Amino acid sequence: MERPIGYDKLAREDRFVRMRAREVAQLKVDQGFPPFADLSTRDSMRERVHGIMVGEMQAMEGAGRTVCDFPEAPWEFTLDMARQVWDESRHVEIYLRLLEHLGGYAGEFPETTILWRCACAEDAAARVAGVNRGLEGLACDVFNQLVHIARKIGDPILERAVEFVLADEITHVRMGSKWLTKLTEGDPERRRRAIEFQENIDERFNLGGVRREGDHDVVSISIATDVRRMAGFTEEEIERLIKTTQRSQVY
Amino acid sequence: MGHALAGQFPVDHSARLLRNYRYAAERSMRALGGWIALTPELPAKLLLGRHVWDLAQHADAFGRRLPELRAQAQTSEPPNERFVAFMDALEEPEQPHQTVERLVGVYRVLKPHVLSVYLDHLERANPVYEPPTRRILLRCIEDERRHIAAGAVILGHLARTPAQRERASVWQGRLEGLVTVAGGVTGDGLPPSRPPAAPAALELGDDAREWIRLAEGVTVWPMPDDLRAAVASFGVALVARDEAELGRWLAPGVVRDEAALATLGASVFDRHDVVAVSRVGRQCLVKLRLEGPAVLVTVLTRWAPGDAGWRVAALEVASADAGRPHLPRR
Repeated sequence: MERPIGYDKLAREDRFVRMRAREVAQLKVDQGFPPFADLSTRDSMRERVHGIMVGEMQAMEGAGRTVCDFPEAPWEFTLDMARQVWDESRHVEIYLRLLEHLGGYAGEFPETTILWRCACAEDAAARVAGVNRGLEGLACDVFNQLVHIARKIGDPILERAVEFVLADEITHVRMGSKWLTKLTEGDPERRRRAIEFQENIDERFNLGGVRREGDHDVVSISIATDVRRMAGFTEEEIERLIKTTQRSQVY
Repeated sequence: MGHALAGQFPVDHSARLLRNYRYAAERSMRALGGWIALTPELPAKLLLGRHVWDLAQHADAFGRRLPELRAQAQTSEPPNERFVAFMDALEEPEQPHQTVERLVGVYRVLKPHVLSVYLDHLERANPVYEPPTRRILLRCIEDERRHIAAGAVILGHLARTPAQRERASVWQGRLEGLVTVAGGVTGDGLPPSRPPAAPAALELGDDAREWIRLAEGVTVWPMPDDLRAAVASFGVALVARDEAELGRWLAPGVVRDEAALATLGASVFDRHDVVAVSRVGRQCLVKLRLEGPAVLVTVLTRWAPGDAGWRVAALEVASADAGRPHLPRR
């Protein structure tokens, strides 16, 4: 088998329309919409849930590639990644059902592939840093807020399902922290590169200031500081993330 | 009936069998994991995604049992080079249009074979002193039955045309030949084939029919009636290569991919279908599949509402495949 594969090999059914995130955001801004779905209407919630469903699909694909691409990695690492594939495949199903619950369908909004691109890093340590800590950390922020909004609008289906997904994501972040440490033991340069990769991803997913510290009802994506602590992020890391959100300018 | 303590496997032999099983489980786990990204069809992705973890647990259980049999933990061992060649062949289909081959290899050849081997081993493993191995086999047997049943559902959904079924059958025959030559996963020959047993009752989350239903989503693409009419007229104009009619639907300043237009102009089509409808704000992205005797082209259009109604604001060819067979209609 080809290992690893180029990011352009990601296969999709015709029902999905793939676009650059920047282009989608610009098209929306040109029409007077916010660049990212803000959860203020049922329509925007459906768009957010669709984006998450696609993200879960790419996370499943990324974890699957990690199982495939690193046969020489420790067996326990492969086990954790295989477990993550299973979790993500269930998450895809959960979000497909939530999409149906909200009156949407797979392919209703364009797909962007930033997450998949991050999952194509050639080094296993960079992948777990970028995907499990960077992107799953973002998932913790997004899902924590979604649980809050679902509770507020009285949607117990959305609230309970996303709460369980959030619990899985916390586990994935912990896996990421564990394997970032273990895979880079005795190799500080590899660790530095992996963390740098994660920080680049964090910066990119601040989405030009869309992710910020603040109340769930006020900001589009609020940083879930308590959940991040539970997932094993240090105070220093959380503080650094908040600082970077204050200077991110591009989406 | 023989003595309760009669056994057919010395410890070393039992350890070797488990290393063989682990080889097949580990290698297929890695293949399934790698294929998820290479497989376009969402129900097939979910099928593979569900089973990667089960296979990892099978490999792990065999690997943990090994030290209890005086062998090194977590080691895999193919029985011979011919079985390696079989697994190499099974992994060959990596192209997006080869999902049927991927699934046939795993769900019609490898898994039914290892299921019959596990059942045979279970029958012959001594129930007094080999319960640790028997318990692992029982779990694997239950999983493999469930996997085979789910794989059959997804394959039935994907291989719908006689040509696809023929392709599947040819590939299955090739792989069955290879696994027979290898003497199977243990190299000791193939155990007698068994009638398929019904898998245990499905939990909702493991129902492959649900994955198909969820992925299909809609049966009629939701869009405003006036846009539906506009897209239909535009599609007819594309098939007819009617430039005047096409021009009527293009918005002033349309973002045109000239190479795309050249591709469209040089091809002969006999039908069009809408295959995707996505929304960006108030605008709609509509993907049209154009089919001709020798070509299949997918065109992505972005439609914007205006005073004159819906117009194409951007047009590009998303893909063009010459010589591809016609796909089943939605």
